[in-house]
Amino acid sequence: MAGKTVSRRQFLKHAGATVALLGLSETLIPQMARALQALAAGKPPIIWIQGQNCTGCSVSFLNSNYPGVAELVLDKLSVRYQPNVMAGTGQAAIAAINDTVAAAKGGKGIYVLVVEGAVPTKEGGEYCTFGLSDKKKALADTNVQVPGDKTIHEWMKELVPGAAAVIANGNCASFGGIPAANAAVTGATPVSKIVAEIDPKKPMVNVGGCPSHPDWFVGTALQALIALGVLPGGKQLNLNENKMSKTFFGQLIHENCERRGAFDAGLFLEDWNEQSPDFKLCMFKQGCKGPVTYADCPIRRWNSGVNWCVGANAPCSGCASPSYYKELTPLYQPLPNMSFGGITPATDVVGWVAAGATAVGIGAHYLYKQLGSKPDEAEGGEK
Amino acid sequence: MAQLISIDPVTRIEGHMRIDVEVEGGVVKDAWSSGTMFRGYEMLIKGKHPWDAQQVMQRICGVCPMVHGTAASYALDTAMGVKLPDNARLIRNLCLGANFIQSHILHFYHLQALDYVDVTAVTKYDGPDPALKMLRDKITGLAAASDLYPFLPRYESPDYIGGEGGPGDPGIATELVGHYVQAFEMRKKAHEMLAVFYGRMPMSVGTIPGGVTTPPTLANIAAFRSRLNELQKWIADVYVADVKYVATQDAYSAFIKAGDSGGNFLAYGGMDQNQAGTDKYFKPGVITDYKALSPEKFDPDRVTESVKHSWYKDSTEGLKPAVGKTEPDVGKQGAYSFIKAPRYDNKPMEVGPLSRQLVNKDPVFMELANKLGVLTPPVKFGIIPRTGARAVEALLLSLEMEKWLDQLTEGIGSNIWDSSGKKIPDKSKGMGLVEGPRGSLGHWITIDGGKTANYQAVVPTTWNAAPRDKNGVRGPIETALLGIPVPDPNNPINVVRCIRSFDPCLACAIHVIHPEHNGVKEFRVV
Repeated sequence: MAGKTVSRRQFLKHAGATVALLGLSETLIPQMARALQALAAGKPPIIWIQGQNCTGCSVSFLNSNYPGVAELVLDKLSVRYQPNVMAGTGQAAIAAINDTVAAAKGGKGIYVLVVEGAVPTKEGGEYCTFGLSDKKKALADTNVQVPGDKTIHEWMKELVPGAAAVIANGNCASFGGIPAANAAVTGATPVSKIVAEIDPKKPMVNVGGCPSHPDWFVGTALQALIALGVLPGGKQLNLNENKMSKTFFGQLIHENCERRGAFDAGLFLEDWNEQSPDFKLCMFKQGCKGPVTYADCPIRRWNSGVNWCVGANAPCSGCASPSYYKELTPLYQPLPNMSFGGITPATDVVGWVAAGATAVGIGAHYLYKQLGSKPDEAEGGEK
Repeated sequence: MAQLISIDPVTRIEGHMRIDVEVEGGVVKDAWSSGTMFRGYEMLIKGKHPWDAQQVMQRICGVCPMVHGTAASYALDTAMGVKLPDNARLIRNLCLGANFIQSHILHFYHLQALDYVDVTAVTKYDGPDPALKMLRDKITGLAAASDLYPFLPRYESPDYIGGEGGPGDPGIATELVGHYVQAFEMRKKAHEMLAVFYGRMPMSVGTIPGGVTTPPTLANIAAFRSRLNELQKWIADVYVADVKYVATQDAYSAFIKAGDSGGNFLAYGGMDQNQAGTDKYFKPGVITDYKALSPEKFDPDRVTESVKHSWYKDSTEGLKPAVGKTEPDVGKQGAYSFIKAPRYDNKPMEVGPLSRQLVNKDPVFMELANKLGVLTPPVKFGIIPRTGARAVEALLLSLEMEKWLDQLTEGIGSNIWDSSGKKIPDKSKGMGLVEGPRGSLGHWITIDGGKTANYQAVVPTTWNAAPRDKNGVRGPIETALLGIPVPDPNNPINVVRCIRSFDPCLACAIHVIHPEHNGVKEFRVV
């Protein structure tokens, strides 16, 4: 069998470190440890295609720790197609997709489809293509006929039916993201909507974030494989209403923010030159979207735990939220001034205030004032 | 008998790229490059709060977001009349530098190296190194399981390092693959270094109009420096050494001159050494017609954009970017790209590390160029000098970054921000010209009614991947492909070796476009 052999002791030590860094609760550890062990024994094939993307989620994936990306690619996953990493180009690259799909059709294995970027649907989907189609087109400024282009929408129709599951990686794939702010022109569409049109019963999960955190992607992918029965564990995926794993997207950033004390005390950053050596100031007045964004950034942090957005004295821009970017602009203006669809900041902020027993002080009062509601009204509100 | 080869996807680059080449007598006779994905950044930023720009424009490209964030910050600074504090200038240089290092390491090892190294040769490793023996066993196991993805399938070629008939031996190939694995960790450290001041990467938050958000405390400087020192050593001992090895193999000697883009090089200049920006680490300059030793002064006013072979109205031909218009005309006869053709004095220009090193005439690079015979007539700058310039640049920049760290005025209350960055004028214009990993980048913003009224960007890959212009002159990549040997049309490895030496970023090149009317309906690609 492929891959290295390790002693059980080594393995558990390693798996323990991995699980610890994925930031999982103790109850999940045995389940994930078994899953990782199974991954080491047989690598599930991955086809990772890119729609209207910027490659940021692929680059972020390269920042994975424990397991690192080399370990993931060599020992844990069989990466059949990933355009930034794979050796093959042109038809040699497409052959890897075709072989994997043919094997799955023939009952010899499965594949998981990862999609990065939104899927444009307007004008026949021509706003995003890769590979060659059976159709012909004129070459550039000549009359010579060459193979036409194949749209990402056509690829979805071809790859979704045979996939064991679909993982939308990053905000553009999950919710449309920045391309959706121009959906009127390109028809940038979330992957879940395209998948539902092809096969409403197809298992699929969203991994938010612009970009997605590598732990969010790797952890959600593991959970999806467990839920599918590809890996042992047997439990159903615990997803929120946006098809995101509650393990990573279960809590408001504001609930876990290291600067919540400053918020409660009403200590807001007004001028970047006036920072206190003793106290980190709250970024709410600079437009922080932490009160309306569900993600574990304050605990997980980014880039091997070095820092995160609020840690750099910058407001959270809500990049893991389904509302990013169109409904979260202006990014540097305080929340209540914004117009929203779907979730209203008032509901969520007030909900938080109601839930938080320590939500008193200048911070809370500032919020009530901005929201135009009184504390006693807010306390009755459940989100 | 000519043969047409359509290559799509061009992998191991950023973005969606298609290349069509005409091959005759075993060499490329003609070439066309197309970008095949469009999002519309300049459309969706219109009417938004100007501060959004440096967040949103970073999302043009996840490989080099920091250069877009930096260019947008400078564009907003100039629009708001900011006097950038020295600390902010230095931290912007340092974080952009960290992005360069990440991008250059990633490019050589993860995007380029698989064009030269035979990964399957690792199975034949018989050396003593324990780590490489582990790597051999791992690769051997994968080969036995017929699961060498993502390293196979690939274009086959008789000149892979360590392969049958190729240069080197399995031992050297295994060392290089070992460095490929190490490079994942090294580029990750460069991201961590950037995150010290800018919060995270990709998509950072630490640069804002008026300055930066994180003060240079002793702890921050130490966290940055320790990673920088490790990277400096690795770049010198491993990255530069590996590039030298590849560059000096007889099997690749043709690539010293092959892959030449036409002899015109441009650098806007970047990384300010003083507040006024009159002195820059990367000097601005222009080289025309191979006059490599005598760069001329760069004058931004001489940049125009040709649309003769691009899907834009002919009435917008030859405009300067600051007053640029983007009016699509999709069915236009003879057009074949949504990338415009930027020109300097009507000439196509290569941008990027090779241009910067030639303009700067850095002795380290010039010595390398001399040794390789680049400067002996006929003077040509092919795949190898372009790749070498990137490695030299990574090393020299990493050394310069240490000087910037030393110049920081330490302290939590130190001056890092000019509050005039917060004062949004009713009407204003701004321009940010910088150098990014892939070359010269310009952002232009127009503010009206306190909102972003217009936004234009001319990015490195727009220069390099440009189509033909009004005079029928090919873009730099199209020109560089001419004469590239294609001995086996089923395995056009040299075509992609040439393309990848430019480190193209298609998402960057094709974010432009804002149809003023609904002519957008007829758009085909981009």
